[in-house]
Amino acid sequence: MANAAAPTPKANMGPAAPRIDARLKVTGQAHYPSDTPVGNPAFAVLVTSAIARGRIERLDLDGARAVPGVLDILTHENTGDLNDVKFGHGSGTSIEDLGPEIQQAGQIIAVVVADTFEAATEAASGVKPAYSEQTPSATFGSQGVTQEDATKVSPQHKHLPQAGDAEAALAGAPVVIDVEYETPTQHHNPMELFTTTCAWTGDRLTVYEPSQFVYGLKNGVAHRLGIDPDKVRVVSSYVGGAFGSKGTMTPRTAMIALAARRLNRPVKLVATRAQGFTIATYRAETRHHIRLGAARDGKLVGYSHEGFEVSSRPDAYVVAGVEDSAQIYAFGAVATKVNIVHADRNTPGYMRSPPVVPYIYALESAMDEMAQKLGMDPIEFRRVNDTMTSPIGNRPYSSRSLMTCYDQAAAAFGWKDRNPQPGSTRDGDWLVGYGCATAVYPTHTGPAAARVRLKPNGEARVQIAAHEIGNGAYTVIGQMAAERLGIDLASVTVEIGDSRLPPAPVAGGSNTTASSCSAVLKTCDLIRARLFHAAVTANDGPLAGRSADDLTLRDVQIAANDGTGESFADVFKRMGVAIIEEYAEFVPNGLKPQAIADLYAGKLAMVGGSHGEKVMYAMGAELVEVRVHALTREIRVPRIVGAFAAGRLMNTRTVHSQLMGGMIWGISSALHEATEIDPRYARYVNDNLADYMIPVNADVDQVQVILVSEVDHDVNPAGVKGLGELANVGTAAAIANAIHHATGIRIRKLPIRLEKLLQA
Amino acid sequence: MADDDIAAKNPQRSGTNRRRFLMASVSSAAAPAFVRAATADAAAQRNSSGARLPADFTLTINGRDYQLAVDPRTSLLDLLREHLALTGSKKGCDHGQCGACTVLLDGRRVLSCLTLAVAAQGRAVTTIEGLAKAGALHPMQQAFIDHDAFQCGYCTPGQIMSAIACVNEGHAETDADIRESMSGNLCRCAAYPNIVAAVRQAKPVMKTASRD
Repeated sequence: MANAAAPTPKANMGPAAPRIDARLKVTGQAHYPSDTPVGNPAFAVLVTSAIARGRIERLDLDGARAVPGVLDILTHENTGDLNDVKFGHGSGTSIEDLGPEIQQAGQIIAVVVADTFEAATEAASGVKPAYSEQTPSATFGSQGVTQEDATKVSPQHKHLPQAGDAEAALAGAPVVIDVEYETPTQHHNPMELFTTTCAWTGDRLTVYEPSQFVYGLKNGVAHRLGIDPDKVRVVSSYVGGAFGSKGTMTPRTAMIALAARRLNRPVKLVATRAQGFTIATYRAETRHHIRLGAARDGKLVGYSHEGFEVSSRPDAYVVAGVEDSAQIYAFGAVATKVNIVHADRNTPGYMRSPPVVPYIYALESAMDEMAQKLGMDPIEFRRVNDTMTSPIGNRPYSSRSLMTCYDQAAAAFGWKDRNPQPGSTRDGDWLVGYGCATAVYPTHTGPAAARVRLKPNGEARVQIAAHEIGNGAYTVIGQMAAERLGIDLASVTVEIGDSRLPPAPVAGGSNTTASSCSAVLKTCDLIRARLFHAAVTANDGPLAGRSADDLTLRDVQIAANDGTGESFADVFKRMGVAIIEEYAEFVPNGLKPQAIADLYAGKLAMVGGSHGEKVMYAMGAELVEVRVHALTREIRVPRIVGAFAAGRLMNTRTVHSQLMGGMIWGISSALHEATEIDPRYARYVNDNLADYMIPVNADVDQVQVILVSEVDHDVNPAGVKGLGELANVGTAAAIANAIHHATGIRIRKLPIRLEKLLQA
Repeated sequence: MADDDIAAKNPQRSGTNRRRFLMASVSSAAAPAFVRAATADAAAQRNSSGARLPADFTLTINGRDYQLAVDPRTSLLDLLREHLALTGSKKGCDHGQCGACTVLLDGRRVLSCLTLAVAAQGRAVTTIEGLAKAGALHPMQQAFIDHDAFQCGYCTPGQIMSAIACVNEGHAETDADIRESMSGNLCRCAAYPNIVAAVRQAKPVMKTASRD
């Protein structure tokens, strides 16, 4: 039987090589940061604020201190030597941790350290704060929230997409829709908790913490502690899921480092699941007002999109996904605006596909509504408005295969059998609906550096501080080295996730494969050049006098086109070297050379997406079947088909898993996930894995991934468009559209649960 | 590593008012297992419930006996991870909601975060570290590799322990059976279809192996 997990590669796709870390992961030997043994650790337990807004007037620690085994309690009164955090400078929040000012529910107010986890847990319950409390503002519509224009306060979004006169275009359009959508608060909830273990050796600090950006964390922690960044090492060999939550520094890390310094003993923190909802970031709730105008033939003439996003009181975090939504069809005139609504909440942050998940959900829902109003098939409506040029500045796409994706997905799905009439298809008690939507993700590439060592027996070691978050980083980095060096993947050792290695960007923005593989490619090519030079300039030897252009590396040999070859061992011998090692820095087009020095300092810039002379996006088409029970309104998704094009695919196995998991994330966004907020107290109600709904195995049926060949030489030297955040985009719209098709009911607020259909 | 060595490198550990309870294993295995325990302070300050007194007991884990003295409140999961360096079992919620800590007790799957270590006395504990025999993977481990039944890998030890029990319970007869029976183990990367395929592959191999 064919193995669906290992698709046969098509053009411009690498092999379905099994993950090189798979054996470690199935035997329990992959060491996630909290698995790393440290000598005689003390255990930290956090105490968090019960109120969302106010001030700690008094902290009674007597009960906590009386617990045997308690070693130290950090509070705002004894941690003044920690430097402040500042949002946007490596930190995900500027909320003053430990107080005494309280700016969010669940803010850390004390860290209890004891000999055992049990004693620390007991003692933490004995920390008794007394607050002066003010009424907090929870979310949209709460009294006391403030609103501001994102372009005025967000340095990344000073200009949002505009083209032509959208108001005039909409006013003159024969067919117009004017609709509003809402998306809920979501928390990443990676299976691995937020952990930090800190150990000092003299004045040198080692931090074991799951991180998507070890260089950012290293520099951030050094700043907070006021020490030289070169004295901080961050180790994050495996990350147990992240989805954006481990990309920016959280307040806990410096606290644990400080506790370890004070005790002169390693300190280990494993925060609780509930604390994870408030000590890190989340996807904020959003609202959207969209107007689309079209001619009767389906050609769009105008698109207006105003977004509203919640953020914390002090920080202007905003995703402004109109940057992307405005690029993807031939809209004609475009007007966009984004507003930040400040409430008494923790600062939101990147969560898988941050800008596009909410904004493309809204746009792709509106596209379906417009197709319905025009009486057009929704796929044909997208075909009419497909474009190789962004409407913002008429810039060309570097490559775009959207309609190829639709055509392949539609054929596999059987879309042609769809009766366009909503509520027309029934199977017993089940109403059947088909829906579709576009998936889109901006292609990002960042600077990176790598060190590669090659031995004469064909063994190689690659070092780069990329991050293994389930993306297959170890494997695809190893594949790139194996390919360029002409050796087996099994001969490559890959070292990542350690700030002692050459830097790589944050594992965010789906840039890991593009950036890291481009750096590894460049470094390997330095080794190739040295080997070729030695082979062709030799006085003797089989390749003497040849042109280096005719050579390649294959089967641990330098090989010429005509089959002549010379073994690595012979060339190394002639060169008089035992190993060849090279280090190279890769800076993508559009960034200054300074970008690498900045990266060493924990500052990252990336290029691509909607910026630049060409716009760069990975794209896909997702088609779903939903079944809604006619009586109970239970909603099931028996099958989903997605076809995706993302430039070169390094490994069809890891790609398949990311896309499949992404579509299930999309199902979750549509039907399951929402963090419920108590509007009175601005607290999260369902801060645990029993009440925060994510899909379980029984929720998932047929998920089909189709890989579409695409070649793009513009995006980066590796030719790779990231896709880790592609497949969960658009899915929620496809499902909402399918539910409309099944029932005739349009729900414009996620998640769609049966009570919403019963009330409709 | 001898505990004296640790103490020498970490002077705080041998502080004047603390005494370590050091336990060697009584198993036939060559390397003795040392276990950090509750402190002498705890023993000195016993409360009426005696909750802080270290409990002395023996556990059999992956076929090896461990003599232990730990805080009786210690969960089986924390015992494995923090006292015995068996970190394959993962903490994902500590509330029995995610399944990442799943181990086998006398062949039955249990959540080690909801099981007090002392309550596992007299029963055979099997963790992910106890599956591979002489370097040969268990059929379920191999099936998880073949079907890429994980991404980040954090839930994987729990999934595999649960999957083995799922087959042994006779709950792997159909795909729908497997999905239902594996729904106590969350996978945020959402490798679910690949997990089902892995269980499907491993089931006949496990049955053949058990007949041998």
